[in-house]
Amino acid sequence: MITEKFKKVILDELNLDDFDIQDNTTADQVPGWDSLNHINVILALEKAFNVHFKGIEVLRCKNIGDLQNLVNTKLNQ
Amino acid sequence: MLFNIDFSKILQLFTYQEGDPLLFSTSFFIFFFFTLLLFYRIFAYKKNLRIFTLIIFSLFFYYKAVGGYFLILIIMTIVNYYSGQILGSLKEGISKRRFLFVLTIVANLGVLGYFKYTNFFIQIINNIGSGNIDALDIFLPIGISFYTFKGLSYIIDIYIGTFQPVKSFRDFSLYMFFFADLLIGPIDRASKLLPQIQREINVPRENIGRGTYLIMSGLFKKIVIADFIGLNFVDRVFGDPTRFTGVENLLASYAYTLQIYCDFSGYTDMAIGVALLLGFNIMDNFNAPFKATSIGDFWRRWHISLSSWLLDYLFAPLQMKLRNLRMYGNAIALFITFFAIGFWHGSNWTFILFGSLHGLYMVVSIFLKKPKTQLFKKLKLSDTKLLKFSQGVITFHLVVFAFIFFRAFSIESGWDVVSQIFAFFQAGVFMQFVNAYPMIIILMVIGYVLHFLPEAWEKWTENFVVKMPVVVQALLLTAIILLVVQFKFAGLQPNIYFQF
Repeated sequence: MITEKFKKVILDELNLDDFDIQDNTTADQVPGWDSLNHINVILALEKAFNVHFKGIEVLRCKNIGDLQNLVNTKLNQ
Repeated sequence: MLFNIDFSKILQLFTYQEGDPLLFSTSFFIFFFFTLLLFYRIFAYKKNLRIFTLIIFSLFFYYKAVGGYFLILIIMTIVNYYSGQILGSLKEGISKRRFLFVLTIVANLGVLGYFKYTNFFIQIINNIGSGNIDALDIFLPIGISFYTFKGLSYIIDIYIGTFQPVKSFRDFSLYMFFFADLLIGPIDRASKLLPQIQREINVPRENIGRGTYLIMSGLFKKIVIADFIGLNFVDRVFGDPTRFTGVENLLASYAYTLQIYCDFSGYTDMAIGVALLLGFNIMDNFNAPFKATSIGDFWRRWHISLSSWLLDYLFAPLQMKLRNLRMYGNAIALFITFFAIGFWHGSNWTFILFGSLHGLYMVVSIFLKKPKTQLFKKLKLSDTKLLKFSQGVITFHLVVFAFIFFRAFSIESGWDVVSQIFAFFQAGVFMQFVNAYPMIIILMVIGYVLHFLPEAWEKWTENFVVKMPVVVQALLLTAIILLVVQFKFAGLQPNIYFQF
């Protein structure tokens, strides 16, 4: 499940008013989330949730749901 | 004697001949392919035999291209298969796993590096230390850059955890050996191709039509356009740019850009077509690259299988590592990635300059992005046709500029082309050129016009061919082959030296 806070961080970073983000949404489906901007989204998430991702953990994510799960695991640690 | 057959010639067809691989556009390939189709049909419902047929034909195909060096492909396949098995069984995070991963990457890159770059580095060492280490006599087995990357993507995916190692060595071998994409790609991914190997064969009617269409358009692009303008025009000008005026150098640069596109994408089209006829969907490699409106857009359309490979396995990890530098991190990661794209093409400074130029284009574009957007807004140009058109023209010329060095024998020779264009243009020679070489101009116009036609038109033509009865498709294919043969035997156009 994509949480409200998680979604808001992404939308704010990409300057989007609203966009429907589901677990199986992929980054390339979200306007503005390209391979260059990707890093800004990751940094924004790290800052907002005060977590630190390892490179391989982010590379493993196939969709936004995976990224949400990664944040959840980090928060539960 | 009734049958005057020279058996040694027939033997030659079946043994390795230096510099004579089984290209898709040769008549022996047609024989090879039909024999394969025959066995393939017989074994259609016997999976094991069907896959082994493909493996044996693929190995023969590769043996024809590189002789005994096909053993390296087999060795690297074994290495990657077992490494993948062990990586998959080891727990994530333990140092043994990391060590094996690094070792496998080093092994793959080491083999590639030895064959491709040894003499280049010897030369650099000689230049720096003014030493005289003798260059080694190293044969470069074609295809090695492509299958190394196929093996690497398999290993990296398993290490990251996005792909499970395949159990069957037979299936993995076919992934590595598959002749359709073995020599010059597309660089397929294990996650896309392996599931297709494992499932039952299915060649719908539509695939046959689409495959035939791609083989026809590929033959046309490769032989009629690329080979003809290459042999009759580009080779001559780039052979000695200073003997030609700026107009000719400029035309040759446009011609080469078209030639390399038609050559490479034509061969890829044939590879995709051949694979479709055997029931495999291999990835697209080109998508009308000269329609790009930025360099980033160009690389999403040009040699897609290589650029997406480097995006996933080089750029993305680098970008993550350098993320605290933000935009600068992106810039460094981009430049390294494009440098690698250039170097991947071969051990020559011209390729390195080609990659670095594209790296530079990309870096400049990310720093200009914000001010550009603001400027376009102010001028009310955002999303206008005029802006798109201008961006397209600028992107195309940046691409042509980089290709000049890609084609040139040396960086100096590339500079000769550029300086002739700017210092010795001689616009009047253009009409002389058109009169002397109408065929070159006609083919260039056809090539570029076909390229810039709306995508919907191409889809329509493709569907039109797909829906034709098989007999008509066969006739059309024959007609294209006859046309191709005409061009193949047209040989060199007379070499008229242009005096100003």
